[in-house]
Amino acid sequence: MTRGLLLFCFDTPETKYHKVLEYCVLLAKKNLKLPITVVTNLNTFKKIKPLGFINYKFIDPETGNTKLGKEWNNVDRHMAYELSPYDTTLVIDIDYFCFTDNLAQLFNTNYDFLVPDTAYDLTGRNAFDQRRWSMIPMVWATVLLFKKNDRVKKIFDTVKYIKQYYSYFNEMYRIYASNLRNDYLFAMALQQINGFTGYDKLPFALPTLPPDCEVVKITDNGLAWKYGDQISYVEDQDVHVLNKEMSNV
Amino acid sequence: MDIGSLKKLSDLSYDIAVAKRNALEKANSRLVVVYNEHIFRADPETINLVKTLSEVHTSPLYVLDSNKNPVEIPDPLEFLQVLIQRNQEAISSYHQMSKTFEKRND
Repeated sequence: MTRGLLLFCFDTPETKYHKVLEYCVLLAKKNLKLPITVVTNLNTFKKIKPLGFINYKFIDPETGNTKLGKEWNNVDRHMAYELSPYDTTLVIDIDYFCFTDNLAQLFNTNYDFLVPDTAYDLTGRNAFDQRRWSMIPMVWATVLLFKKNDRVKKIFDTVKYIKQYYSYFNEMYRIYASNLRNDYLFAMALQQINGFTGYDKLPFALPTLPPDCEVVKITDNGLAWKYGDQISYVEDQDVHVLNKEMSNV
Repeated sequence: MDIGSLKKLSDLSYDIAVAKRNALEKANSRLVVVYNEHIFRADPETINLVKTLSEVHTSPLYVLDSNKNPVEIPDPLEFLQVLIQRNQEAISSYHQMSKTFEKRND
């Protein structure tokens, strides 16, 4: 049974995502110790510095999605099942930095699909505990663990179907985000596949830095950020960084 | 106390409060442990349950994992050791971190 990490990375005119990928891969190699496959395009690949033995898969990313008015090429996650060369795959966003080996042990479970459903705001403002308008709880598709089997294939097929009719499902579930978010795609697919009864989840909240925090330093063990006039840091704790300007750190 | 000193003290207190909260969350993340292909939290509730059951019940034990799925535990003492080890690793790390908070208050 093969195991590995799958990452998606596409530069945009505004953001050098390949820089974020470089941090992500270095930390994943150090702490998760897994084979890594990066899904990217040729333009991005040419800018990535040598990262050791990495498996690359090239696709043309689907364009058209935006975040805060900027191009955001993140809608190819539904292809993770087909693109992964592994029997068990951990998919993480490249802005999720593994400063620990916490995720590695999850490969040893008999669960075939796991996703977290909560995020933890590292600035202490509980910025992610907002009023929920949608009819279903959101998941954080930032981290996904899946095994290849018939049931999981159907989850990804359902994700594809919902993506195809996204505006309809958005209305139906009262999701008011105008852009396409993998979080909602997977939340809707999991609800439907599981007969609207809930599903198995990862039992921890994703430590997350909100977009208004500026990352000022990254080391092998942790990172520091600026929020207002305060500088804070964490060490030996995984962090999901929402401010993509960190590609310039 | 002048307003400048008050602001400085308030900022420091905020800083320490956020760091302490994050250190506790870090410990909570570390309490997640995989055993016998299931996910558990090495928290006091799980440790107490396994300890109590192992004392008054013959093996195997049956407990619920983090998703409320039942799991057979053939060797409760081994499981208890795993839970205690992970719990103490996480909490001792939090303890070390809390010492640095005290220094920042000096």
